[in-house]
Amino acid sequence: MKARATVLGALVLAAALPAAADRPLSAVELFVQRDKGYCISCHQLPAGVGPASTSNVGPRLEGARMRALGKAAIRAAIVDPTAANADTLMPPYGRHRILDDQEIDRIVEFLNGLP
Amino acid sequence: MACRRLAALALAMAASCAIAAPEAVRKEIVDRLQKQLPQLSGAEFALGSAAFDDALRAKIDENAGDAAPIVAAGHKVWTAKFRDGRSLANCFPNGGRRIAGNYPQYNARLKRVVTLEMAINQCRKAHKEALFDPTDAATMGAALAYVRSLSNNLKVAVRVPPAAEASFENGRRMYFTRMGQRNFACASCHLQGAGERFDGTALSPAIGQATHWPVIREAAPVTMQARVRECLELMGAAPFAAGSDELNDLEYFLSYLSNGLPLKANVWRPKAP
Repeated sequence: MKARATVLGALVLAAALPAAADRPLSAVELFVQRDKGYCISCHQLPAGVGPASTSNVGPRLEGARMRALGKAAIRAAIVDPTAANADTLMPPYGRHRILDDQEIDRIVEFLNGLP
Repeated sequence: MACRRLAALALAMAASCAIAAPEAVRKEIVDRLQKQLPQLSGAEFALGSAAFDDALRAKIDENAGDAAPIVAAGHKVWTAKFRDGRSLANCFPNGGRRIAGNYPQYNARLKRVVTLEMAINQCRKAHKEALFDPTDAATMGAALAYVRSLSNNLKVAVRVPPAAEASFENGRRMYFTRMGQRNFACASCHLQGAGERFDGTALSPAIGQATHWPVIREAAPVTMQARVRECLELMGAAPFAAGSDELNDLEYFLSYLSNGLPLKANVWRPKAP
């Protein structure tokens, strides 16, 4: 009986709380998650923004450079960087559906807002 | 600009490989990496990612003892008597001493390239013993750790006879082919990005990648093919099976690229991130 009550309680709790998978991942989470952007494996962020890394496969991501590029160019570079440079190491996050449109939008806003 | 040079190199090598010249392919890659990474001496390429990381080299020295129990277990596997009284040691010249740097090698009787793992299982099959699972650390991993330790400091000397050039070429093609959801080729990281840091670790250059297997990670041997399979998963590709023709050919290509570098088995590596 006690076990049945525990299972019922767990089911009620599970129904009441949104599953982690249902919650949109923040830009920083997308940045570090292996099955998502995992941008941190190649890029460094400005000090104090997100996790520190020593990665240098790709360039450092700095706000001034991002804003000079503009949101449309940042987005295009995330969706399919091979369109501009066939030899780039950067994955085609949109074309290969690693990130969906909303996730790419969040990363674009995040990059555009970097210090 | 570096990317364009890589593309040109890949195209040039693809063209040159129409006449299959493994030594020309190797020399081109060696020359490129020596120019790209002038801070490394020839032998330092054998250190893999540790060549770029003083702290990792110190940890490798500090944890070198982790290999001893695995090599001891491998010695037991290597000398264990089969039901017919023979052992793995009896299947190889000199009991297995000074052979590892010659694998993979072309077997004219089988008409195929044979890795050291395959040779071990051929021995077991010939003596009517159950084959080792190539992914099993306690048997195949330990046997490799032991037999490769018998070739420590000897130079890798893999041959590609004309009959094996198709296997070499297949391995080369695999290395340069982008695959998986992340659209990486092995060469993207280990040629184009060699020495740069990915996820906190320096990317090992293509030459030298075949010298230090198995590595010892979390007190267990990790074979080169097991590590390649991890890489493929990271690339978002379904990994080829251990012992598949694809991975055997890739190992053949990479081992040939390491010719002339010292073999050093059972090098410690940190836990995978």
